[in-house]
Amino acid sequence: MTADRNPRRLADALQAIPGVSTVVERNGALWVDAPLLEVEAMAAAMAELGIRLGTVTAIPHAEDAESTVIYHYIDEHRVINVKTCTRNGALASLAPTVRAASWAEREIRDLFAVEFPGHPNPVPLIRPEGIDTATLRAAMCRPAEVARKPASPLASPLAAKPARS
Amino acid sequence: MPYSFPLGPYHPALEEPFKVKVQCRGEVIDSATVEVGFSFRGIELLAQKRNWVEVITLIERVCGICSNTHAMTFCMAAETIAGIEVPKRAAHIRTIIAELERLHSHLLWAGVGAEDIGFHSLFMEVFTLRELVMDTLEAISGNRVNYGMNCIGGVLRDIPDPKRYLPALDTLSKGLAEIVIPTFTENPTALARTRGVGRLTREQAVEWAVVGPVARASGLDIDVRKDQPYLSYADLGFESVVRPEGDVLARVVVRALEMVESIRLIREALQSLPAGPLRATQGLPEIPAGEATIRTEAPRGEAFYYVASEGGATPARVKIRTPSFVNIPAIEAMVVGQPLADLSIIQASVDPCISCTDR
Repeated sequence: MTADRNPRRLADALQAIPGVSTVVERNGALWVDAPLLEVEAMAAAMAELGIRLGTVTAIPHAEDAESTVIYHYIDEHRVINVKTCTRNGALASLAPTVRAASWAEREIRDLFAVEFPGHPNPVPLIRPEGIDTATLRAAMCRPAEVARKPASPLASPLAAKPARS
Repeated sequence: MPYSFPLGPYHPALEEPFKVKVQCRGEVIDSATVEVGFSFRGIELLAQKRNWVEVITLIERVCGICSNTHAMTFCMAAETIAGIEVPKRAAHIRTIIAELERLHSHLLWAGVGAEDIGFHSLFMEVFTLRELVMDTLEAISGNRVNYGMNCIGGVLRDIPDPKRYLPALDTLSKGLAEIVIPTFTENPTALARTRGVGRLTREQAVEWAVVGPVARASGLDIDVRKDQPYLSYADLGFESVVRPEGDVLARVVVRALEMVESIRLIREALQSLPAGPLRATQGLPEIPAGEATIRTEAPRGEAFYYVASEGGATPARVKIRTPSFVNIPAIEAMVVGQPLADLSIIQASVDPCISCTDR
């Protein structure tokens, strides 16, 4: 809550995080590309800057491919999106030091089977006990397209009328 | 001897399913664990199977209380990707609906809170006032829950006679000033159940990364309307309400004073509604490839959306982080050392929205 408001200094601090390749401003937010991001180093740097973690987004690509993971940080005046990808389907957990990461990581594990080794309480958040992880992974990996709507015989005047008995 | 007590998922205090499992020693709570996920609907996946217009209807159903916030935030994300600037009149109308939604949400909370402390007559007073807000929303949009006001590029409905709604605002101001606020802040029964109860210190608020009235009641002056103004908030001016105490009473006071500020914003927006079009675009929107993150201040705090487009007919990814998703876990910190009898009002003081959280 004491974030540095100087955009130049902030960009320099982000660029210094191990694994960060580029920092650009786009659509009113900062986008940090870091395929080989050291997530614990990022968490330490953000804590030092006084910037809170808003949430984490996972984007699965194919059932057995790596997933994109975006850490959304908020300094109250702008959003800082740090984009990385999983390694062997996993990323180190931030939850031991960042409370706000705990539920976000548990949800991502439930829905997309991304593992967060080191999570202090890796129990299901969204899925019921006994259901496997990756609840949405296969469905979300399919190309985005408009789903066919269920057809109702009442929806069209041309639909065949049921035979009278 | 320590024992465990499960509150929920079928809840005596709220009509949505979530569970707070507490460990007690005598009448005092030692620790708590919150469980959610009982109303998961997979809305983020469904959003990838609808076109950009259908998704607005879907997203509006993330929450039955702050429905407008979700549809509006999604539209703002799509507009940011497409570089669409919403007309000033549409921005004003969005602001009016957003603040009316905050009013009805805070009044709903005040009623539920009154009921939770056994103050039924206060519940009735609060809900009588809330009906004024619901009637206003219905008169503008035709609906009481999902208003269907937003489209990508602006709004679907006008407010042709804005001065018509000013008398309702006067009645609301009077009711808040003469009944709701004094009762919550001066009545011995209400104070006995809220003052010093369920405290979350400023340091804990930072640690748990809470947002909205919960954060502001713990001394954190964060509000998206002030920190990163959107819609017409910069034009109308905005002052956040902050209290340092961090207890249930502070959360009540923050919401009560926010209602006063909401009424001022609505009144000024109605009186200064600029002329002009309602939409920047016509027909089906084309959203190019791109991605955007948008924050808005929902009644419960910061709503966060990440939306990605690949230039197709549907969004490629819609990530929704509701304020309750970050506020609910903090109940675990608020209840430690508190009497079991206060568990109900403490968890209600967060104003948890479970269908938002589960999506």
